[in-house]
Amino acid sequence: MGLRGDAAIVGAAQYKPEKYATAPQMFHLEQVADLAAQALEDAGLKASDLDGLVINGPQFHEASVFVPAMAAEYLGIELNFAEVVDLGGCTPVGMVWRAAAAIEMGLCEAVLCVIPMRLAPFGPSEDPAWMARAMRFGGHSTAYGAPEAEFDLPYGHMGQNTGYAMIAQRYAAQYGYDQTAMAKICVDQRTNALANPDAMFFGKPLTVEDVLGSKMVADPLHVLEIVMPVAGGAAVIVTSKELAAKTKHRPAFVKGFGERLSFKSPSYANDMTVTPVAAAAKRAFEMAGVKPQDMDAAQIYDCYTITVLLSLEDAGFCPKGEGMRFIKENDLTFKGNFPLNTHGGQLSFGQAGSAGGFSQVIEAYTQIAGRADARQLTRCDQVFVSGTGGVMSEQGALILQGG
Amino acid sequence: MSLKPMPEMTEISKPFWQGLNEGEIRIQQCNACNGWVFYPRRHCTHCLAHDLEWKPVSGKGTLYTYTLTRIPTLPEFADEMPQALAVVELEQGVRVNTTLVGLTEDEIKVGMALKPALNQVDAKGNTLLRFTAADKALDSLPYINPLDSLPRNDKGQVQVGVDNPVALQALVSDEYTDWSNTLLVDQELINTFAELSGDNYWIHTDPERAAKDSPFGTTIAHGSLVQVLQSRLNFALPFEITGFQTMVNYGSDRLRFPSPVPAGSEIHARARVKSVQQSRKGTALTLEVNIHVVGNDRPSVINDLVILYR
Repeated sequence: MGLRGDAAIVGAAQYKPEKYATAPQMFHLEQVADLAAQALEDAGLKASDLDGLVINGPQFHEASVFVPAMAAEYLGIELNFAEVVDLGGCTPVGMVWRAAAAIEMGLCEAVLCVIPMRLAPFGPSEDPAWMARAMRFGGHSTAYGAPEAEFDLPYGHMGQNTGYAMIAQRYAAQYGYDQTAMAKICVDQRTNALANPDAMFFGKPLTVEDVLGSKMVADPLHVLEIVMPVAGGAAVIVTSKELAAKTKHRPAFVKGFGERLSFKSPSYANDMTVTPVAAAAKRAFEMAGVKPQDMDAAQIYDCYTITVLLSLEDAGFCPKGEGMRFIKENDLTFKGNFPLNTHGGQLSFGQAGSAGGFSQVIEAYTQIAGRADARQLTRCDQVFVSGTGGVMSEQGALILQGG
Repeated sequence: MSLKPMPEMTEISKPFWQGLNEGEIRIQQCNACNGWVFYPRRHCTHCLAHDLEWKPVSGKGTLYTYTLTRIPTLPEFADEMPQALAVVELEQGVRVNTTLVGLTEDEIKVGMALKPALNQVDAKGNTLLRFTAADKALDSLPYINPLDSLPRNDKGQVQVGVDNPVALQALVSDEYTDWSNTLLVDQELINTFAELSGDNYWIHTDPERAAKDSPFGTTIAHGSLVQVLQSRLNFALPFEITGFQTMVNYGSDRLRFPSPVPAGSEIHARARVKSVQQSRKGTALTLEVNIHVVGNDRPSVINDLVILYR
């Protein structure tokens, strides 16, 4: 069951994270074409090689339906495989395995996976205040009959911060909580970002004291344990083995994947401290025939520090309840014994909406391809990647292996 | 500032919210598999049977987890800081998103025994299911109308300071004032307005032709005449805004003339506060004024009049 491991990521493009206020405004279709051109150039492929497209549907500016057809028309390509993925921060991981599966089934040869996340220009009849109002409730639906509109918002349960904070509080009650270990995640990842000129926080060192001294948002989460939203966008090209052999760099083959959706609000999880990535990672490792300890690096979705802690435990990198000790006992930097989020993680790189998870996918590819410059790992043949959407609602895992 | 989000009940959830309004906690149990279900649904989450029955429960439970917010999750919740957001596991095993009340920060512990504290949150009786420690004397949080504690002027109107956003929001209502005095709109008044405004279209000023050609069988008043006659219709607002430097008529957000006023009709008016919004420009109070022909349910003028205080 699963993938043979014959499809590979062969090229990538990623906008350097920028503040929304100063980032260029581009139509999403324009960003798709721009990112596609960059990713194809990166791989050494042509637009005519593309015959598959996986794209985000939600939050696509120019339309909310018929997005793949519209994007294909804009790109001037025809498709044998088109898909929209709606998994929040897990979308990039979900895109890559869907592309790989479609290629292995023989549906297509080369798939563009893309999420544009810079703002589009405001039209003459569009009200910039409208977007602020639309963003007011974050990922919460306010539609009549939406459970969260009726049973969460009236109590002030809103947004991701408090959901993750409540997971952390439950974890603390069950297993204990060492906030210096949580801060060390931020600090080690910042060390990685200091070697990554593209990171939002490049050139800005960080200490455990800085993290613990930063403003408390919702107990026990400090503001520096929470990602910074940035404008950005990213794309990768996934191809067949045959096409991968013609590209410029060492490909990263998709050897295993898993995906698990358990709930929308973690309040309704069987056990809030056991996250969906447990099932997703187990499947991915089994499919690839490898174990957590075989990995040369882990690129773990890090919208919050608690996400990293639970993912390390549930993906099997350390036993349940021992994540804090694991973090303190290991050097998580690119120079260390357990390289984690070697680009800085989204905590230091910045989170470009649902394209944020691409930073982990692309870093895994970049390390395998040996193209990570100052932060390049000396040996990087196998990498674990995770994606997380919602409030640990939907998680996915990939095992990538150098060709 | 706008109001806190309120639950909008559906046909499915109505027994839950109505129960709270009546002081009873009801959740659903499946007749097919005996599983308990929350939030309200049509189908059982354990077996998908379409056979759920509402059952009254004690509301007792334990604290599954919580957080104390140091930044409000929405600006409207600033008065609750820190918000004690909680997930409560009821005796039946279902979990409820809620808030804790009547507890100091130190008293809150995951696993603690809890009991419900029903909290009426508006004058209409809408009630939320909050929780407190099982050993607290608190059982419910009654609705406190912020207008109740304010002074009144010699006309009996409650005096609301322009710097009191909570009380200003409490003025917003679906209920209209009592009807104003009535006023006769006769042909002479219509003719005077036609002369003044220059609008002497026959449908207003020519009773003979109107009797023949008008769909109303008679002349009708100009919509804009009826609109300005508001100044001669005195509806009694139950409040007085105080503490401002200037008050200006900022215009109308909406002006509609849904039904005609035939010459010779008596009209009257009533009003309600539709919204209060604060911005850099000041405090904008939108007064929805409705002018009707006496006896007609359909208004002749709807005017959402914006009054700006600063």
